[in-house]
Amino acid sequence: DEEFDELCFEFGLELDEITSEKDIISKEKGEEKAKGASDVVLYKIDVPANRYDLLCLEGLVRGLQVFKERINLPRYEKIIPAEGEGQRLIITEQTAQVRPHAVAAVLRNITFTKDRYDSFIDLQEKLHQNICRKRALVAIGTHDLDTITGPFTYTAKAPSEIKFKPLNQSQEYTASQIMDLYRTDSHLRHYLHLIENKPRYPVIYDSNGVVLSMPPIINGDHTKITLNTRNVFIECTGTDITKAKIVLDIIVTMFSEYCEKPFTVEAVEVVYPNGKTHIYPELAYRTEKVKPEYINKKVGISETPSSLAKLLTRMCLKSHVTGNGNHLEVEIPPTRADIIHACDIVEDAAIAYGYNNIQMLIPKTYTIANQLPLNKLAELLRLDLAAAGFTEALTFALCSQEDIADKLRTDISATNAVRIANPKTAEFQVARTTLLPGLLKTIAANRKMPLPLKLFEISDIVVKDPNTDVGARNYRHLCAIYYNKSPGFEIIHGLLDRVMQVLEVPPNEGNGYTIKAAEGTAFFPGRCAEVFAKGQSIGKLGVVHPDVITKFELTMPCSVLEINIEPFV
Amino acid sequence: FTEMPTDNFVESSFWNFDALFQPQQHPARDQHDTFFLLDPAEAPQLPPGYSSKVKKVHSQGGYGSQGYRYEWKVEEAKKNLLRTHTTSASARALFQLARQEKFSPVKYFSIDRVFRNESLDATHLAEFHQVEGLVADRGLTLGHLMGILRQFFSKLGISQLRFKPAYNPYTEPSMEVFSYHEGLKKWVEVGNSGVFRP
Repeated sequence: DEEFDELCFEFGLELDEITSEKDIISKEKGEEKAKGASDVVLYKIDVPANRYDLLCLEGLVRGLQVFKERINLPRYEKIIPAEGEGQRLIITEQTAQVRPHAVAAVLRNITFTKDRYDSFIDLQEKLHQNICRKRALVAIGTHDLDTITGPFTYTAKAPSEIKFKPLNQSQEYTASQIMDLYRTDSHLRHYLHLIENKPRYPVIYDSNGVVLSMPPIINGDHTKITLNTRNVFIECTGTDITKAKIVLDIIVTMFSEYCEKPFTVEAVEVVYPNGKTHIYPELAYRTEKVKPEYINKKVGISETPSSLAKLLTRMCLKSHVTGNGNHLEVEIPPTRADIIHACDIVEDAAIAYGYNNIQMLIPKTYTIANQLPLNKLAELLRLDLAAAGFTEALTFALCSQEDIADKLRTDISATNAVRIANPKTAEFQVARTTLLPGLLKTIAANRKMPLPLKLFEISDIVVKDPNTDVGARNYRHLCAIYYNKSPGFEIIHGLLDRVMQVLEVPPNEGNGYTIKAAEGTAFFPGRCAEVFAKGQSIGKLGVVHPDVITKFELTMPCSVLEINIEPFV
Repeated sequence: FTEMPTDNFVESSFWNFDALFQPQQHPARDQHDTFFLLDPAEAPQLPPGYSSKVKKVHSQGGYGSQGYRYEWKVEEAKKNLLRTHTTSASARALFQLARQEKFSPVKYFSIDRVFRNESLDATHLAEFHQVEGLVADRGLTLGHLMGILRQFFSKLGISQLRFKPAYNPYTEPSMEVFSYHEGLKKWVEVGNSGVFRP
């Protein structure tokens, strides 16, 4: 077990859990239900999101074995049948509106066992979830070739014109009936919306009018694959041709292992509406030339070109030294669609070398460090406010709409707040435009603490601003609150004076700060003042209105100061 | 290390994802993981010359890369969101650096809030803080990255480190940093890192 864990770690996989079917059921449903379930040890492995070739057991094992140098990397071959003998998939122009692209291939003389069959279905599901983005980009259909006759037509028809027996059903349905049938199916209902509102639904027929599938929803029952299936027709349809090609390549490379002639795939000719044809699968082997010194430099190792070639070959990137020893020719197989730049090759070389074998160095870069002025000011003010006897709080930047509007006796439209489109709970509907609700909620959560409660926070608030390149900006606010049996306006006022004192802002009209009586919706009438400094209004202070106090579930009076500190940077 | 300006919670998808080579169909850009904004929903402006370069690299490739080969939509890039990582601020900082007349090596850092659309539980918050650091210079290697990380963590009192290959859309090679937790008696992930893609 530990050895496997090490291997996974080195290779870049995460061994999440070592469990068994019995354990899984125990955890989810209780020990009773688990009796009789398999005790066979199961490994849960986390695969990086860009390695589609490791998503099935076959690919994973193959990758690890090449890594350990137990087997050589297989060569995947495309067999192009003689003229007139191969299968053809004809795409009509009606598909352009709904799901334009399609690719196909054939696996000849394949042998399925229960495990292989399960793995086959499993890989399709995983690919659907991962690169196909829940079937939106690409949908995979696999069919028993011996039950149908080519050439096949991929077209799009009105829902009422499509009628067939879907997989595992007992009777025929029209397409619209199928939509209703699967509306409550926990698995398929998530995909219905992909074609539901289109005038035509995609459908694939064989030359006798038998329906192979209606992508991306369901295959026909007629072409269902069983353990006795010998020849498989695979089709991938979708809206992204690059991904469709990758998906097809992955499926055929993984499972061609079980064909009579291992690692061979029979090609299919796809005919486009404009008459052009293309042979799929592409199974392209790409060659990249990399300089060994580039790899050595980027990683920080010094390996000879031939040892680098060996390392890369272990990662399924067959390489050999060319030129006069200073070039590496790397062959990228169709299973590695994640290699799109020389830096991907560099990473693979580093993985084969072993990350933890690389020597750690410190860069020789000399730089002079700097703190951002706004943050420096905030840090200094935090120290001074704490010294004045106030306790710092850190609250959420997202809150509910009521928190910044109704509970503060103001209207949401007056707040200029940034609104979230998809909050999971009502607590995260808007970004806060004032620090006050956060502090009031903090006090409400700490009612049992001894009075007086003196809290402060220096943090960002967010407002809409049409002048920025994104349409909103942050302001650094300082908010302090005093909660006690008496409101303590003089204490908050004293705090303001102290803050101005440490900021070296004199208390006068011209170049300093003043306060003028004002009205604030969240404040007690007649007990509110606006703070002016550097020629602008920077905030308010005063006694909080009783309604506000009650709305935040508090019972005692309090006074608060909130100012924008950015003018003082 | 010099502090980067990070005082913008609202970010456009462009800086948070596209400029960092995260494809527009990536699951993390889903409704489930990111907070998208209702108002303001779209960023009024994207840097014009730069955004066309980003479009090209995603759809056709460039700078030695094959690219993702899909249709890059500017409407996706304009969608506003609450940033999911402070790397968007790093991208902006690097962009400014690139526009300097003469290249000077830099070391940047930031510690600020990020937002992820998650349900709250014992180990997950919807908003949390990230510490981010980056070094830009000529001749840097993976070994240098590991060296800096080891120094950083040793100052925090964490000295047993192991590095694991990982995947980020914007770095290659990438490493997850693991440290042995005495209390839990197992290796836990303490950080993520990588060398930015060319």
